[in-house]
Amino acid sequence: MAFDMAIALFRPAIKYAMERNGHGAALGFKLDKISRGETSLIFPYKEETVGNPITGVVHGGVIVSLLDTACGCAAMTVLGTPSVTPTMDLRLDYMRPAEPYKSIYVEAKVYRKSSTVIFCRGLAWQDDREKPIAHCVANFMRVDAKSVQFRTIAATKLKRLLPWRRSRVSDVKDES
Amino acid sequence: MNSREYSDERLLAEWRANVTAARAANDPQAVMAMIPYSGFIGGQVKLDNDRLLYWLEKRSSNIGNPSLPAIHGGVIGGFLELSASIEIIYGLDIATLPKVVDFSLDYLRPGRYKTTYARCTVLRQGKKLVNVTASAWQDDEQTPIATARCHFLI
Repeated sequence: MAFDMAIALFRPAIKYAMERNGHGAALGFKLDKISRGETSLIFPYKEETVGNPITGVVHGGVIVSLLDTACGCAAMTVLGTPSVTPTMDLRLDYMRPAEPYKSIYVEAKVYRKSSTVIFCRGLAWQDDREKPIAHCVANFMRVDAKSVQFRTIAATKLKRLLPWRRSRVSDVKDES
Repeated sequence: MNSREYSDERLLAEWRANVTAARAANDPQAVMAMIPYSGFIGGQVKLDNDRLLYWLEKRSSNIGNPSLPAIHGGVIGGFLELSASIEIIYGLDIATLPKVVDFSLDYLRPGRYKTTYARCTVLRQGKKLVNVTASAWQDDEQTPIATARCHFLI
């Protein structure tokens, strides 16, 4: 396959936007692979995200976030100019309970791209890819790349790093 | 600590006692607080006209798209799944924690960076499975931002 310039340029931007911002930063996953229509990420076990205090298994909501992120990133990469792709819907099947203290591996793939919708599938597993803990299908909307530019996310974040602009973006902070 | 120690019978007995106490005190938030994930996303619950009203605090660590800014779709999903499970734990008389089997979520409107509310309805309670729907809104209950339905094994 020929070298894909657009992806090579956007890979760091996507990684930055997903891993260092908001909920991605709170979860602390690492985007491992970003190529056209395919992404994967690794989520190390985190005590704060436990959903079952008796067994110590992470909450299903974490798996929703991981799969939504992985599928969303995969959806972005199939566009000529990667831009934000809002999620339309998502369906998750929990195949078996996750085990505590183990990392979760997630993989997402775009299997169809129409003029308005991007169809994705995602898989989450721990020890064995053949024994997934969850499977998901998620559909994303294609929005006009001009209206929501992906690079505005990176730009917003960069602005926040500049001390003289800090006062203007104080609304994106905790009230507490 | 290994998983063996975690799944102690004592923890389960303690869990049941705490749920019973929370019900007796009409305090669903006590049940919510027992789940660490609720603190992670800032999910809360209170009794409102004999029904449970859930809400998700405005928090910068829940943002998915900082340029709008909008709440992460996964957080909305996690919040609805958490709400649905609290609805079962608090509302139905079950011995252990419900296990989620499947979860389906429709995003109807962007989740703006503000407090999000949710309400759940148990549609069917069988011997093994419970079907719950959940709906999330921000300004007006009639304009939901997302709806979800899920099956739980009890």
